Amino acid sequence: MTLWPFQDTHLPLAESVAEALGNLRANGQRSALALLGILIGAASIVAVLTIGHMAQQETLKMFRHLGVDMLNIHAMPSDAATNGVLDRATIERLPADDPSVLAAAPLLADHDKVTAGRQTESVAIAAVTDALPRLMRLDLRQGRFIRAIDADDPVAVVGARAAAALSAPGAPITPGARIAVRGYVFTVIGVVNPVPFTPLDAFEVDDAVMIPLAQARRSFAAPEPTSALILLRPGTDLAAAGRRISARLANPTATLQLITAREVIRSMNAQKVIHGQLLTAVGAISLLVGGIGVMNVMLMGVMERRREIGLRAAVGATPGDIGLMFLIEAAVLAFVGGIAGLACGLMAALITARLSGWTFGLALWVLPLGPGVATLVGLAFGLYPALKAARLDPIEALRAE
Amino acid sequence: MGRPEGGRLTGPAATAFPSSPMLEVQGLEKTYGSAAHPVPVLRGISFAVEAGCFCAILGPSGSGKSTLMNLIGLLDRPSAGIVRLAGEIMDPQSPQTAARARNRLIGFVFQSFNLLPRLTAWENVALPLLYRGVPRVERRPLAMDMLDQVGLADHAGRRPAALSGGQQQRVALARALIAQPRLILADEPTGSLDSVTAGEVMGLLRDLNARLGMTVVMVTHDRDLALGCDRRIEMLDGRIVADVVTARTRP
Repeated sequence: MTLWPFQDTHLPLAESVAEALGNLRANGQRSALALLGILIGAASIVAVLTIGHMAQQETLKMFRHLGVDMLNIHAMPSDAATNGVLDRATIERLPADDPSVLAAAPLLADHDKVTAGRQTESVAIAAVTDALPRLMRLDLRQGRFIRAIDADDPVAVVGARAAAALSAPGAPITPGARIAVRGYVFTVIGVVNPVPFTPLDAFEVDDAVMIPLAQARRSFAAPEPTSALILLRPGTDLAAAGRRISARLANPTATLQLITAREVIRSMNAQKVIHGQLLTAVGAISLLVGGIGVMNVMLMGVMERRREIGLRAAVGATPGDIGLMFLIEAAVLAFVGGIAGLACGLMAALITARLSGWTFGLALWVLPLGPGVATLVGLAFGLYPALKAARLDPIEALRAE
Repeated sequence: MGRPEGGRLTGPAATAFPSSPMLEVQGLEKTYGSAAHPVPVLRGISFAVEAGCFCAILGPSGSGKSTLMNLIGLLDRPSAGIVRLAGEIMDPQSPQTAARARNRLIGFVFQSFNLLPRLTAWENVALPLLYRGVPRVERRPLAMDMLDQVGLADHAGRRPAALSGGQQQRVALARALIAQPRLILADEPTGSLDSVTAGEVMGLLRDLNARLGMTVVMVTHDRDLALGCDRRIEMLDGRIVADVVTARTRP
């Protein structure tokens, strides 16, 4: 009995692959079932790699948009009796007081219903200053942003989605339109172009109605800023700057929470790693199950085709020839599953991209990986049936029904 | 292993060493069962078949003729004794060398044809060449040639299911011949055919034997069939009980 028969063979590979394909077709449904596990496994792997790749691209994009030198300080109430606020004047003095601070924007954000004509929508309401557009890179689609001189006027700038939601036929939200916020009427002076939301943002600009911070007294119970968005000089030591700025802003009402762009990106990546690990585990288990499926189908094939094996042996097929024939069949079966898995995986990645609002991106090295891994699984799990076929006694095989 | 030499079949007898027999078995024994309860099936068989002879091995079931066929066909290993094919002593130990020797020296014809249903007639015929590493484009003309010799040239593209029993056995015959073996081993080749078709297949077998000088050893339990052969070896209980030369020895 030869342990490893496969070296003694001169089966033509291309022809054997073609024949294996024909055999799989002949076994249609059974092959398809065995393929399913391989397909899911390969699809998960392709999806996880492609989604990971896209997430990385998105992260890079976010870096580019945010800059890495962004800091968000948020005041949490230090106990139930206090509101947790920051001092506006201190925030606005930061660029002058701390050489590492380029700009600082105080803001106060909440959610509530806003009415325009007959339209009522629940939106974010943010009380902001003229420092915000620079920090959040806002572009105006129409009109202008809030300026220092607007402090005493009930004016509002509306985000792109909020504007669309509040618009009614014949009454679009454009500069000059009037909207009611918590019982006060504000005049729209500008509409902002859509901007990507980042977890660093205190509110979602697209969904927001922005009013001057000084007008917050009309709409907020405690008209003091609760957040400060701070842009640091590039290359600043974020931790040290964070400590310095926190010390300046510290007050008895609030516990300060410090969020940096780097941290946000790091935690987002950590989340992606967890998702990736989960998908990888699903992929690995599917491949294992698929591999067992391949083994099962191949073992059934070996049992059913004993006569054929005996005949092939009689006309001169060596154990290696016969083993290799089944091994190639297993590999081809798994490869076909891998190709289908590649297609499904890319589809899943595409859907994920659509749902997350990402641009679909493909890492080319992923393409051969799905079918490649599948084929390896096919070879590994096809080995036992192939050896079994190779070791069949030709006489008994010929006698089989 | 190389390509088959040349396209057309030439009589293998012409290339065999003239004075040595094509097939020779000496003291062949085969015992099944355990050491404690041995079941002897062959009890010392010796005979030689000259090149070009059409030899029948006759015997009732259980006489050991199938076991003898398996040993001659290198599908099984003897418990004792040797098989010599075309002057070479066959090594029964390695399945690899046995397979290579089967491919090179022996053509099998089975009672149940044993054609592969998914392959066309010519692909079935060409199967032995596949295991010699002959590329498909070269196999096809050789197979077509063989099909022509058995009168089935225009059925080359059909699958076995589309052929009659007699046609299937003729395809199997072409398959047995394509690798230019030294010996055709036929196991009840007409056992699954009606008498008219059986006669046709036998006629073809005899014709190939006469035309190509192919040595044929045929196992059968049909005494009438055996009577038409050059030589008749009768077996009973694992021994040869009669060995009758009935016809002229081929030149």
